[in-house]
Amino acid sequence: MKRPSWVVPSWMVACVLLTPAMSRGQDNGPEPLTVATWGGAYEESQRRAYFAPFTEATGIPIKTVHYDGGITVLQEHLASGEVEWDVIDMIQSDASAACDAGLLAPIDPGILAPAPDGTPAQEDFMQGAINRCFITQIVFSTVIAFDDRAFPGVKPDSVEDFFDLQTFPGKRALRKAPVGLAEWALLSLSVPQEQLYDLLSTRRGLDLAARRLDEIRDSIIWWTRGVEPVELLTSGRAAMATGYNGRFFHARVMEGAPISVIWDGQLIGFNSWTILRGTDQAEQAARFIAFATRAENMAAQASLISYGPARKSAQQRVGLHTDVGVPMMPYMPTAAAHMERAVIRDHRWYSQTGELREQWFREWLGAGQTSE
Amino acid sequence: MDRKIVAQVVYQISAVTVVAILLGGIASLAAIGFVEAVHYLNGKLLISPYARVLAEDQHLLVVAATLLVPATGGLIVGLVVHFLVRQKRGLAPPDAILAAQTSGPAPGFPSGVASTLAALVSLGSGASVGQYGPLVYLGAMFGSLVGRLKLNLRHQRSIAIACGVAAAISTAFNAPIAGLVFAHEVILRHYSLRAFAPVTVAAATGYIVANVIFDRPALFLVSFNEVAHTYEYVFFALEGVLCAGMAWVFMRLLKVSTSTAERYIHWPWARPAIAGLMVGVVALWIPEVLGIGQETLRFATIEGAFGIGELGLIIIAKLVLTAVCVGFGFVGGVFSPALLIGILFGAFYGLVLPYLLPVPHSGLVVYAICGMMALASSVIGAPLTTILIVFELTRSYDLTIAAMVSVVFANLISYRVIGRSLFDLQLRSWGFDLSLGRDKAILQTHPIRDFLSTEYTAASDRDTVGEVRQRLVDDHRSEAMVLDHNGRLLGVIRLQCIVNSEAPLPVMEAIIPSFTIFDEQTSVWQSMESLRGFLGEAVPLVNEYGQLLGVVAEEAVIRAYLEIVHDLREEENEAA
Repeated sequence: MKRPSWVVPSWMVACVLLTPAMSRGQDNGPEPLTVATWGGAYEESQRRAYFAPFTEATGIPIKTVHYDGGITVLQEHLASGEVEWDVIDMIQSDASAACDAGLLAPIDPGILAPAPDGTPAQEDFMQGAINRCFITQIVFSTVIAFDDRAFPGVKPDSVEDFFDLQTFPGKRALRKAPVGLAEWALLSLSVPQEQLYDLLSTRRGLDLAARRLDEIRDSIIWWTRGVEPVELLTSGRAAMATGYNGRFFHARVMEGAPISVIWDGQLIGFNSWTILRGTDQAEQAARFIAFATRAENMAAQASLISYGPARKSAQQRVGLHTDVGVPMMPYMPTAAAHMERAVIRDHRWYSQTGELREQWFREWLGAGQTSE
Repeated sequence: MDRKIVAQVVYQISAVTVVAILLGGIASLAAIGFVEAVHYLNGKLLISPYARVLAEDQHLLVVAATLLVPATGGLIVGLVVHFLVRQKRGLAPPDAILAAQTSGPAPGFPSGVASTLAALVSLGSGASVGQYGPLVYLGAMFGSLVGRLKLNLRHQRSIAIACGVAAAISTAFNAPIAGLVFAHEVILRHYSLRAFAPVTVAAATGYIVANVIFDRPALFLVSFNEVAHTYEYVFFALEGVLCAGMAWVFMRLLKVSTSTAERYIHWPWARPAIAGLMVGVVALWIPEVLGIGQETLRFATIEGAFGIGELGLIIIAKLVLTAVCVGFGFVGGVFSPALLIGILFGAFYGLVLPYLLPVPHSGLVVYAICGMMALASSVIGAPLTTILIVFELTRSYDLTIAAMVSVVFANLISYRVIGRSLFDLQLRSWGFDLSLGRDKAILQTHPIRDFLSTEYTAASDRDTVGEVRQRLVDDHRSEAMVLDHNGRLLGVIRLQCIVNSEAPLPVMEAIIPSFTIFDEQTSVWQSMESLRGFLGEAVPLVNEYGQLLGVVAEEAVIRAYLEIVHDLREEENEAA
C-alpha cells in the first residue's frame, strides 16, 4: 500500500482551514464526516462536546456509525471497497495494532493545538498519547459494578469478591472478549498488578487464569455492547457486571439506577482518535481531531461523562457536571483513591497478543461446552 | 579533651559518613543500572516470557533464540573471562570477603569491570545463574576503590567494601536491614560499632535511592494472614532439614559439574557456551529454566499454578542447570537460583504434605517462603539476612517466624554437613579457611617472613667445631646455621651438642640434619603449629632454592600472633 508523506496532510489541512467552503459537494453543503464510535451516553457526550460545536464552527455535519472495538471490522470495511468511515474512536491497543497493520493514515502532530496557556501539545498530552497514527484522547476504565439491591448486607468491594460466589451469589456479566478476564482472574489470586502481564505472557499464567474463570463459569452472562451491562444490572438479571465506568456513572448519577462501582482492579485503558486509511476526507478528519482535542472541548466532554481527558490543561478544567452539577472528579478513573489497585492496560502487550488471547478464549469457551 | 583529638574525631566521623553516603549512592545506582540492563537484554534477546509472547507470531525466531542466545552468550562470557579477567573466572562474593578480611591485593578494577560485564551477558542471555552475586561484587568493587583513597581512616578498606555490599543488597531486595546484616554476617564477620555506623548509612542510602528516586518493585509480594495451627511449626522445622539436604545436593552437583567441565572440555573459554546450549535445549521443553525466573517465583506462591509432577520436574531441571551453568563458568551468583529452587521446593513440600499428613494447614504461601529462605540461607550462609528479607518484604510476623524456624533448622544441619556456606567452601579451596573463625583464616594469610631477623650466627661446611663453638660464645647464641658456599642451609649446630666435642672435628659431623624450617610461604598460623615441641632458639627461613634468608625467633612467632589477634579484637570492638 502506498504511504502518503507526512507533509501532505498538514498543508492540506492548512488549505482547508483557510478556505472552508472549498470542500467537495459545495452545491448541497459539505459532505458529512463519518465518525465510528461507541453509542450510548458516551456518544451523546461526544455529540454535545465535539460533534455539534464542530458542525457549528465549520459547517461540516457529522454522521456516526456504531463501532464495538477490534480491528477485524476495519479490515472488513476496507475490503468492502467503499470506504465510508473517516474518523474512528479506537481503544489504544487496537489503534496500535491497526497502525502496524497499515489500516490507518498517519496524523501530523502539528495539527494539535497548544494548551490555552501556550504549553505545546507535546508537553500537555500524557506521555505516549501522541503517536504516528493515533492521538490518545481519554482515559476510560473497565470496572466491576454491582446491583445494590442484590447485596442488602455486606457489599462486595474487591476483585476477589467478584469470584466469590458463596459470599456474593448471583450472575456475573462479562464482556465476551479476551479483554480483562485474565487480568481479573490473576488479580483475584493476589498477583500484584505490576506483574500481571509478565505472568500472562506464560502458558502457565493463562492456564491459571482459565482455571480461575472455571470457578464462575456457570454464573456468567456475556455481553458485547457497551450499553448492556447497565441493562443487565438494572433489570436484575446480573448481580455484578463489568463495564465502562462512564456508563455506570451515567446510570447512577443521571438516571438514579441502584448501581455501585468497585474501583478495585479497575482496568484502565485509553481511547484514541484515528483516521482510516483510504478515506477521501482525510483533511476534514484531521481537522475534526484537531478540534476535538482542544483543551476546552475535552473538558466539556469530561463535564458530561466520567472519562478522564488525556491532556493536563483539560483535566484542570474538569469541575461540575454540566447538567446535574455533581463534582466530576470523584467519578474519574484517575482519582487518586481509585488508582491503588488499578491495572493499566498494557497496550503493547494487547496489540501483539490478539491472536493468542483469541485462541485462549476460544479454547476456554470450548472446554466449557465439552464438559457440559 | 585535647583540641587536636576533637578535630581528629570530627574528621573521622564526617569522613566516614561522607564515604558511606557516597558509596551507598554509587553502589545503589550501579545495582539499579545492572538490573535494568539485564531486564533490557532479556527483552531484546527474547528471554523474558513477555518478550517471547510478543514475538509469538514468529515461532521459529523464538525457538532459534532459545537455542542460540544462551550458547552465544556463553561464548562471549567465556572469551571475556578468559582474556579480560586476570583471575580467569568470574569475581564473586568470596573475592569481596577476602578483600575485606585481608590486606592483600584485591582483584583489580579492570578485572572487576570485565567480570561484571560477563555477569551482565550471562544473565542477559538467560543462563541459569543469579544476579545478587555480581551485585555484591559490584558493591565491593566500588568499596575497594574508595578503600584506596588516602583518607587515613582505620580499617578503611574493609568498611568501604562492607558499605558497598550493604547498599547493593539493600537496593536489590528493597530491604535495608537485610543489606546491613548481610554485610556484617557474610563480609565483615563481626559487629563493631565503627563498621556498623557507616554500613547502616550506606544501606539506608541504597534504600532511599531505590525507593524514593527509582521506585523499584519488590522481589515478591505475598498476602498471608497467620499460621493457623501450632503443629505447623514442626512442619517448618522438618522443611528446613529437607532444604539443608537440597542445599547439599546442589553443592554436590556444583562440584561434579565443575570437575566434569575441567576434565572433558579442554578450552576453558568454550565451557560456558556448552552450558548455554544445554540450557537452550532444556528450555524448549521447560522454559522456566531460562534466566532469573521472576515469573516462576511468583507462581510458586499461588495455589493451583503447578501440579506436583511438573513442579518436581522444574525443580530438578533448575537444580541441575544452575549447577551446570555455574560449574561451566557462566558468571553469576547462586543466591537467586537458590531462592527460586527453594521456593519451588517449598511449594512442592506444601503440596505433598496434605497427602502424607492429612491435617489442615495454612496454605501454600508460608511453605513456599520457608523453603525459599531455608535453602538460600544454607547456600550463602546468612541465616539472619534471609530472615530479615522475609520480614522486610512481607512485614508479616507470622511469616517471618515460620521462615525463622525453617532457616534455623536448615542451618543447624547444613553447617555440619556442608560448612557455613558455598562462599566459605570456595575460600577454603583458595587456602583461606574461615571454618574455625576469623583468627585462623587471617593468621593463615600473614606470612611469618614479615617477622624475619637477619641476626644469626653462620657457619661454613668447612669450619671445625672449635671455630663454631668460639663464634657462638662470642655472639651469645646457642645455635649456628651451617651453609654451603652457595648460601644453602645444610643444617644447624646446637651449642649443647658440641660443648664436649673435640675442637678439630669437622662441623658436618656434629650437624643436626632434621630440624624445623620455614619457607617464604609459611604463614603465622603454620609457624605456630610447627613450634609445638620445638626446642631451639630460632627457626631458619629459606627461599625456594634452600638458601637461608634469615631466622625467625620463637619470640617473634608469639609476637606475630599477639599483634594480629590484637588487631582483630580491636577491629571487632571499636567504637565509632
